[in-house]
Amino acid sequence: MSIYDLILKRIREIQGKTEEEEPLTNISASSMLTAEITLISSILIALIMVRLINKALMIVLVIAVFFIALMITPIMPKLIREQNDSFNNMIFYIVLALGILIALFYWGNLNV
Amino acid sequence: MDPFIPIMVILPIASALFLNLLHKNDRTVKILAIVTALVLPIIPLLTGYGSHYFGGYAPLSQNSAIAQGLPSLITGTQLFIFHPAITYVFASAQKVMIFILGIIAFFAVFTALNETKKPSGVYAFLMFMGTASVIAILLSDDIFNLYVFFEIAALAQVGIVIASNVKHNYETALKYVILGNIAGPLLLLGIALLLGVTGNVNITDIIYSIKHGLVNPQNPVLLMALGLITFGWLYGSGLPPFHTIKSALYSKALPHGAALIQAFTVFMMVALGVIILRIFSYLPFSKMAIIAVSLLALVLSITMAIVQTDFKRILGYLALGELGYIGIGLGLGTTLGITAGLFQAVNEAIITAFLFIGFGTVLYKTRTSDTRKLGGMMFKNPRVALLVLLAGLAMAGVPPLNAFQSKLMLIQASLQAGVPELGIIMILLSIVTFMTFMKAFYTIYMRPKPPELVIHDYKIPKATIISLVAFLIICLILGLFPQIATSNLQTLASSLV
Amino acid sequence: MVLSAQLFSFFTAGSLIVIGIFAALFLDNLIKKIIGLAFIGDGVNLFIITMGYKPGGIVYIFLPNMTISNFAQTASYPLPFALVLTSIVIGASTLAVMLGLVIVLNKRHDSLSASKILGDERD
Repeated sequence: MSIYDLILKRIREIQGKTEEEEPLTNISASSMLTAEITLISSILIALIMVRLINKALMIVLVIAVFFIALMITPIMPKLIREQNDSFNNMIFYIVLALGILIALFYWGNLNV
Repeated sequence: MDPFIPIMVILPIASALFLNLLHKNDRTVKILAIVTALVLPIIPLLTGYGSHYFGGYAPLSQNSAIAQGLPSLITGTQLFIFHPAITYVFASAQKVMIFILGIIAFFAVFTALNETKKPSGVYAFLMFMGTASVIAILLSDDIFNLYVFFEIAALAQVGIVIASNVKHNYETALKYVILGNIAGPLLLLGIALLLGVTGNVNITDIIYSIKHGLVNPQNPVLLMALGLITFGWLYGSGLPPFHTIKSALYSKALPHGAALIQAFTVFMMVALGVIILRIFSYLPFSKMAIIAVSLLALVLSITMAIVQTDFKRILGYLALGELGYIGIGLGLGTTLGITAGLFQAVNEAIITAFLFIGFGTVLYKTRTSDTRKLGGMMFKNPRVALLVLLAGLAMAGVPPLNAFQSKLMLIQASLQAGVPELGIIMILLSIVTFMTFMKAFYTIYMRPKPPELVIHDYKIPKATIISLVAFLIICLILGLFPQIATSNLQTLASSLV
Repeated sequence: MVLSAQLFSFFTAGSLIVIGIFAALFLDNLIKKIIGLAFIGDGVNLFIITMGYKPGGIVYIFLPNMTISNFAQTASYPLPFALVLTSIVIGASTLAVMLGLVIVLNKRHDSLSASKILGDERD
């Protein structure tokens, strides 16, 4: 099997877990792939900004995140499932964001 | 004190109240709505720059009649220069933004009145109340007045969604208003903490107190206030974690309503973001937080946009992704960066309105928004397809259209500030935005029509075509002559650095 | 630690806000969620009012038998009361909108459960 067929099979497996009734089209497969590559590359490029704090830390983080991303790929279907329209999901992330924001601003600002 | 400054807010509110009263008198509603919407973008062009003090109570330093009778306990301290009244400030940046908001409101109202069978006074009321609130948010120098209009704008957006009669719109409206009732009071708590520490709700006076050491700038209560006000800003702007509910809101409104709601969102983000920068930019953490949230918005929204199948959700997520560019511009903190961010906001409001109304014609003719069921629309309306294609090219940043200039300025600003990684991410996500738009365009317009699809023979109203062409002309003008906007926005940007 | 009236009031406001967030997050009944949101608004309003407290302060009405400096030094802070009036009205209008929406949704879905009505829609 070519690599493309392998990828399609994997995507179908994952989408099968989310109870998709539609047949897997080329468009949705390539969309999922694009989203995955965009996500991982944006995270890696954004991590390079850590060089402004500490260069060694940046190298460690980039390599670590690169290997973690390769291991837990695909990330996109899990992200899509988490960002659904359910109210309970939304409010959980909102209160979580509130907590992180307050904690970061209140305590994180003391050293910056 | 120019009398036109409060007129910019009072006129749409008064007109909205009359429209609500005259609902069902179709002709009167149509005439009043069109006249108000026409006058609204013209007023900021005629207004002189300056401040307006409600009630006429200028600061004591400018009001010697009252100041003479007061003891030195008051006149000898900073109270002499503090603003006792609610102050509205109108400068060049506000002129550009209110003008653009007025234009979008005009075309949204114009399209709404012509696309529905009977013009609705209540719907026009909601649109004008929302526009008035966002104009007040842009003008206001009083942070509590801003909060009041922030809540009114949220209610107006909810109303626009409720009036749309799209499936599941009530559920989305309820979710939005419940989340708003968590974020709104917490924003008010942040404002209350600012009031408690500085004793003022006027933003200029708060900044004076912090800069001149009347309060301790590192006071932990101020940090808490910053956190809470940022949380309220996230709600108003549709940045993560509020991006899912905002894009759901865009998809459950009618296209012209969605165009107006996204304009509200963009300008609320700019107004509150500028205020956060004005008050708290001495804390480097505030700018880092703005950049972090904007990056998250860019990446999460655009990756979500790629995988959607409903074109209204695709557009909604793309619109929220573009907000990330604005945030990066504001967070960079340099004059070029903030000017670029504000210019991107102006461009993005126009382009997204253009896209929403353009794709709305598809909804008008086929009554479905599922890209899996659409196709072949190019042969029915080739001219509208061309206009929509140009809108998509505008969003992607193709010269000579406007987003090219603002995105170029953003990338230059990030290089100048010493963070080229942001520039690379912005370019990458622009390419992905374009890819997403082309995917939507292909599935709706270019591929063969599926046999089950029914394309009704309704003629697209001339009003819609006129709106689309007008938006295209504005995009071209701003793309070829960006100085029209950037020269006006630069004054605000330099005052923030 | 002296538990003054103002400190006690601040604690009450804080607990109201926390109880409200808990209710909005964890309770399933829509009406209970909305009552929780009303708690958050009330907590914030109480917080603002408490900020205007001044021990031994007088009501901020300038009577003819007062001097300006005496008034300026003894009057309690008038700004929070004006802010809270507006804030209560805003809270009441958003409460009305939410309850109206709950009425319509209850008729449609015949239930008040948030997970059923506000769950994920299969568009």
